[in-house]
Amino acid sequence: MTFTEENGRVKIALEGRIDSNNAPAVEKELMDALEGRRGAPVTLDAEKLTYISSAGLRVILHVKKLHPDLVITDVSPEVYEIFDMTGFTEMMTVEKAYRVVSVEGCEEIGRGANGLIYRIDQDNVVKVYRNADALADIQHEREVARLALVLGIPTAISYDVVRVGESYGSVFELLNARSFSKILAKEPEKMDWCVREYVDMLHRIHGTLVPEGRLPDMRETAIGWARFDQDYLPKEAGDKLLAMVEAVPHDDHMIHGDYHTKNLQLQGDEVLIIDMDTLAVGHPIFELGSMFNSFVGFSEYDRSVIEKFQGFDSTIGRAFWRKSLAAYLGTQDEARLTDVENKARIVGYMRMIRRSIRRGGLDKPAEKAEIELWKGELLELLGKVDTLLFEREETAETPEGDLDIEAVPENLNDVLAYVDRRLEAVDCPMKAQMQIDVAVEEIFINIAQYAYHPEKGRAKVRVEVSEEPVTVTITFIDRGIPYDPLAREDPDVTLPAEDRPIGGLGIFMVKNTMDDVTYEYKDGSNILRLKKNL
Amino acid sequence: MLNIHKTREEGRLEFALDGRLDTLTAPQLETEVREDIENVKDLVFDLSYLTYISSAGLRVLLSAQKIMNRQGTMVVRNASEEIRDIFDVTGFSEILTLE
Repeated sequence: MTFTEENGRVKIALEGRIDSNNAPAVEKELMDALEGRRGAPVTLDAEKLTYISSAGLRVILHVKKLHPDLVITDVSPEVYEIFDMTGFTEMMTVEKAYRVVSVEGCEEIGRGANGLIYRIDQDNVVKVYRNADALADIQHEREVARLALVLGIPTAISYDVVRVGESYGSVFELLNARSFSKILAKEPEKMDWCVREYVDMLHRIHGTLVPEGRLPDMRETAIGWARFDQDYLPKEAGDKLLAMVEAVPHDDHMIHGDYHTKNLQLQGDEVLIIDMDTLAVGHPIFELGSMFNSFVGFSEYDRSVIEKFQGFDSTIGRAFWRKSLAAYLGTQDEARLTDVENKARIVGYMRMIRRSIRRGGLDKPAEKAEIELWKGELLELLGKVDTLLFEREETAETPEGDLDIEAVPENLNDVLAYVDRRLEAVDCPMKAQMQIDVAVEEIFINIAQYAYHPEKGRAKVRVEVSEEPVTVTITFIDRGIPYDPLAREDPDVTLPAEDRPIGGLGIFMVKNTMDDVTYEYKDGSNILRLKKNL
Repeated sequence: MLNIHKTREEGRLEFALDGRLDTLTAPQLETEVREDIENVKDLVFDLSYLTYISSAGLRVLLSAQKIMNRQGTMVVRNASEEIRDIFDVTGFSEILTLE
């Protein structure tokens, strides 16, 4: 047993086995060593401890009684299990020894703000933190990933912490997964599929309400960026930037914070989002800003940057960004896309300028030129954009997310596909399926043709399935003119063809094939609800 | 998606429909019907491969029926059970000649 003392903390290294044979001897040794230091903080180094029985645990309890500040470090997995089973890990601090893992020659599969992700074998990946003292970061990421999973976001949670050289890493199971960056690089023809999955996940994240205080507030972070940049911008522009960021309302929905295609993984046919340490709450404009950077901003000055980072070129990056934005907003309207893109660019440039300056970029010619480019773009945008807010429907609170789509007839198939996808979970007979499709078509087309005429607007569709009896409820919400389609008089379906009016059949069919149809106008919205018992 | 196979023999015109007849596809059928219906004595819609019909599709059938009531006969064939249900609910079973 070796014994050292540092800054008043006594450190004792335990060795071998402690069981009923040697426990009394070990106890005596410990007590002798601690003689006259009652109450002093103690660390027991368990690196060389191979086994401890209950007799040994009683010795430790005795030490704990006399020295309440007791920490046991470098505990092997086997011994840790004993401490864990006996409840010791809850009574005192017991730190595990870390397995050592090498990433030499391993493929880099992801890259985040705080670390690099490598595949160490077929089933496992390790995220190596840049920061040498990363245990707190690892703990944080574990906690937020667990929170996200509980809130319905498919992600991987680390199951082990390891040493990688001088840094720490956390290990995840990720079976045969491929990143979306890799798919885009190798099979660019799958772009539209990738966009759809990427945006689906994004809606899911942004539709998730986070209990208060569990995640950092992105708005606060962004106010910090704006304040930093103020020193490097003309006063008027800097003040306007800060005011615009401050005008973004607080939002309790989740944002990922580093949402690019290396962090989206396809495992079998399941899509997972990884690299959760930047998870926050906030308005989606902050997410869009960082997405713009990932696909366009970071490589605007030097186009090869994106190739190194994502594995695909800047043309694909730009196309992916623009298509994702269109799908996210549910519009193909170029003017509207550019409008929201400009807001995202403001957030993006603001962030990159700060990041680069903090890394000493102003002292390096190439990086200084890059900062100047971003600054020029930012100043131009600040000259013509007055708010970071953009029009969007309130996002859904369900983890699945509602469909939020521009109400135009051309989107009918997207609406039907969405509804059918939601119905996959239930065993829906063909007849009911067709009746539901017909009802959805009639209601959606009604909204598309009349609600906002002659302007355009959006509609929200929500599908809920309840069990016993299996009931499907589909809700349509639009903010068009108040209109109750159910108030319309039913057509007389017994008239001969010549006397039959050509319209009015749609709503009649809805009423006669659904089990319940209700309408209300509330808070500026038309809310139409269909119920079908299966 | 809707595919329309059209067969014309003298006074007989047949449309075999394959796919979905909805708000988005009904205008196609309406145009085809309008273009060719003149001088037709027997109009046939074969729905063997039609998987779906909404009110927009019903409207096309109704306007064709109105025209054929003046100039000849119209028959609707091979509708699936689900589509027949829709004809029943809307009273179309009474107006159309179903085979």
